[in-house]
Parts: sequence; C-alpha cells; structure tokens
Amino acid sequence: MKPLAMRPALVRGLGIAAVVSLALTIWLGLWVTPPDEVQGNIVRLLYLHPPVAWVALYLAFGIAALSSLLYLWKRTRSLFWDRLAAASVEIGVVFNALTLVTGSIWGRPTWGVWWTWTARLTSTALLLVLFLGYLALRRVPADPEVRARRCAVAALVAFVDVPIVHFSVQWWQTLHQGASILTPTHSFKVHGSMLWTMLLGFVAMTLLYVWMLIVRYQIEVLKDRVGDEELEISLAERRAEGDAPPPAAGGGAPVEPAGSVR
Amino acid sequence: MSYVDAGYSICLTVLFLYGVSLILRRRRLLRATNVAGRDATVPPPGTARASRPGIDAGDDQ
Repeated sequence: MKPLAMRPALVRGLGIAAVVSLALTIWLGLWVTPPDEVQGNIVRLLYLHPPVAWVALYLAFGIAALSSLLYLWKRTRSLFWDRLAAASVEIGVVFNALTLVTGSIWGRPTWGVWWTWTARLTSTALLLVLFLGYLALRRVPADPEVRARRCAVAALVAFVDVPIVHFSVQWWQTLHQGASILTPTHSFKVHGSMLWTMLLGFVAMTLLYVWMLIVRYQIEVLKDRVGDEELEISLAERRAEGDAPPPAAGGGAPVEPAGSVR
Repeated sequence: MSYVDAGYSICLTVLFLYGVSLILRRRRLLRATNVAGRDATVPPPGTARASRPGIDAGDDQ
C-alpha cells in the first residue's frame, strides 16, 4: 500500500461521505428522533458518545495495537506498521478525550455529577494517559528502528487497558450503564429510529476515522521524507565544503605585534 | 445552553479543528518536500553550498 500514491479523489470522497453521514446523524439525532421516556432530551448525546468511544477504544487503539504487533513480528516488520500505529494513536487520543468530555456532559444531568471514580470512567481516563505517554515516547529522539520498537511495545502495554474498559461494567459495580449495542446476549437495547440514528453515528465516525487515518499517515510519511531530504542537503553541503579550494596561502598568516615573545 | 447543545458543539468543533489541522499539516509538509526536493541536488565541486530558492537572500527579487 502506497498511501501517498492513493488517488486524492478517493480520499476526498471518503471525507465528503464522512461529513454527509455525520450531518445526517446530527439532523436525525437533534430533530427527528423522539426524546427518551426516562432520560428526555439528554438521550440525544448518546448518538455521539458511543460512536466516538467506538472509534477511540476499538478502532484507533485496536489498529494501533495490531500494527504494533505486526511491527514487532520479524516476518512483517516494516516502518509502514510503525507509521500506521502512530497515526492511529494520535486520532485515538483525540476521540478518547472526546469520549470523556461527552460522557461527562451526559453524566452531569443524568447522574448529578460531572465525574465519578467508577471503573469504566477511571479505566478510560487511564487509557488516555497511557496513550498520551505513547505520543510522548515518540518525541524522544532516537534511531527510527529503536523508536519504532519502543513505541510498539508501549502501544501493546497500553492496549491491555482496552478489555478492562470494555468489561469493567460487567466485572465491577459501576454507575455507568451496561452495553447497549455490543451486549453479551447480542440483543439491541435501543430500537426504532433511535437505533438507526445511533448506527448511522457509528458509520459516520468510522468513515471520519478512516479519512483521518489516511491523512495522518500521509503526514507521517512526509515527515520522514522531509527529515531524509534535509539530511541529504546537509551532507551535500558538507561534501561541497570539503571539495572547496583552501583559502589563498601566504596572505593569511597572523601578524605578531612588535616585541612579542613566544 | 443545554447539555445537549454543549456536547454537540464541543465534540463537532474539536473534530472539525483536528481535521483542519491535519489538512494544514499535510499541506505544509508537502510544500517542504517540494522545496527540499529541488534543493537535494548535489552542488558541483567548488560550490560552497546548494542554493535554496525562496529561502536564501536575494532569491525573491
């Protein structure tokens, strides 16, 4: 796969599809679907919050972990996987932060608090911190291979928290509600227009994630290319300086002041 | 402003700004690679350094 050679029209089309589906989700979520019997209008936030969480936890961090694994495996080792993981983690961090913010805004009128240290919320916050650490690790100057190996291990360690987040509502008593879509019995707890709007939200956020991933991956490739070309220019300049004729002899000897003693 | 409005505003604004930042970062790097690609030619022996159009003084005249 050569993303830089990927047709720009395809990437643009993907971006447009993401925007259109997101606009449709907003229209359905805010104006078409009815208020919930129990939650009232606050339920409208749930057309955004679970899709955003889906992208962060399962898609972005899942792809980052898979890419890291493929990088660490000698048979598939390639900088492609490292770049893909880096791109995916950055997007995942943005979506993870949005998961916490939208969840908090939903929690205030529903639970009466902006934040509570229950298992689901704490493990999600921990996940954000872990992957912020991954991004910090990428900025530590190192050989590209060393950095890639280091970050791949870090991504896999951080990903251990994802199943903890997922099963936290089953393993511990928590204020957070259980799964509505990915239920253990594979039965939806949401129905009708609410279900379709939520599913469209998932599609919209997934399309947006794929578009962002392609663009972010291209940035990663370009960053490496700019670094390589700057290095080539520096080397060319050094070589040119080495080939340059020395300064004219005889005229450059320093004149010692009269009476000076060596 | 209701909680719903706040949630939608924050979420969509952040996603929009992040998307725009990605496009701008890619555009800036593409421009940088184009400039660096032109400069990557090895200068002939005796030349002090490769010229960098648009960067070195006097090039913008």
